[in-house]
Amino acid sequence: MSKAREVKSSQRSVASTGKAGVRYRQEALEAFYDGFKAAGIDFAVFLPDSMLDGVEQLMIERGGIDIYECSREDEGIAMAMGAFLVGKHPVALMEGSGIGLSALILARGIVQKTPILLVAGHNSTLGERYDYHGATRMVTEPVLRALDIPFHVLFDPADIRRVIAEAHATVVGQRIPVGILLPSHVIREIGEGR
Amino acid sequence: MNRTDVLRYIAGLRNGDPMIISPGLANYTIAEAKDEPLTIYNMELPYTTPMALGIALGWPERRVIAIEGDGSLLSGLGVLSTVARYQPKNLLIFVFDNGAYLTTGSGKAPTATLFGTDIEQLGRAAGMKNTRTVHDLDTAKDVVDAAFAQPGPWLVVAKVDKQDRPAERGAHSLPMYVYEAGLVFHRAALQERSKK
Repeated sequence: MSKAREVKSSQRSVASTGKAGVRYRQEALEAFYDGFKAAGIDFAVFLPDSMLDGVEQLMIERGGIDIYECSREDEGIAMAMGAFLVGKHPVALMEGSGIGLSALILARGIVQKTPILLVAGHNSTLGERYDYHGATRMVTEPVLRALDIPFHVLFDPADIRRVIAEAHATVVGQRIPVGILLPSHVIREIGEGR
Repeated sequence: MNRTDVLRYIAGLRNGDPMIISPGLANYTIAEAKDEPLTIYNMELPYTTPMALGIALGWPERRVIAIEGDGSLLSGLGVLSTVARYQPKNLLIFVFDNGAYLTTGSGKAPTATLFGTDIEQLGRAAGMKNTRTVHDLDTAKDVVDAAFAQPGPWLVVAKVDKQDRPAERGAHSLPMYVYEAGLVFHRAALQERSKK
């Protein structure tokens, strides 16, 4: 049984951020941080977004992983690729729309054998309530498919650590980028308007 | 001032430093001067400085060089704000500003610098402190010396002519394919870091 499953509901705490009052599933945030650490992730880039902000803020708070904020997701992916080139194990965190911005640099990473782990909020199917997520929903998975980048859509917070470990193993072993996509229910409290 | 003269001067000081080079003729000059394993040639247009920044942050003990053109840097200006935010002392950005997309077709298509865009000022507005624009070779050499000797990050804009295009174009080939470059660079970096 994964550690995430061992967290009892009574032990849950919630991180609230920003005016929107977003409530994250604390065990999911912890699982991301612990999963990154366990997998050997030591370098992270991110462009803040509402889905992954809780993870990013926890990473900043806990430390132990060098984390940098970029001005655009494709820039951040290039930064992470640079870090990989010198021996780091990077992850790039972003909203799914960032994948849409990043086709060229991801393709370069494939051609140049310089991979990274991608974690992106949003997906094509689950939990996209708002029309303004329409474009994001349309570009995330199609860009990954177009570049033949393997990705996994997380459904259960209990799988977070294992998926991170196995995805990172593929990044290192195959020297290809791998994506982990995150529907909102995995990381936010159920029933919350989002 | 000709680009090749400045590039050869930089190559002479480089001493194997990691380098990312934007698309264009600079690749051939650097490769001809000395091919080094810690080199990525012909990076995609907006990603030269971002990748160099990632290297600089991931390997703070090592000086890292980005070779940009005016067109390539203008295609991804946001990175200057990221450089300014993290202030990596080991990052040197050299921009060769000839006012044109020189490697395209006729080479006559102008960049915005021909109409007043000032790359050094863009860097300063982003928050970079060590910035210079140089117009002649002697000054360029002095500023390059300073950039290699003093903590960065540095943004050096060299205003260069277009005279190298006919001589350089097609005259050389690069020493490796892109698909080799990531492996060679990665292996060399790991080897070097494992010795320390």
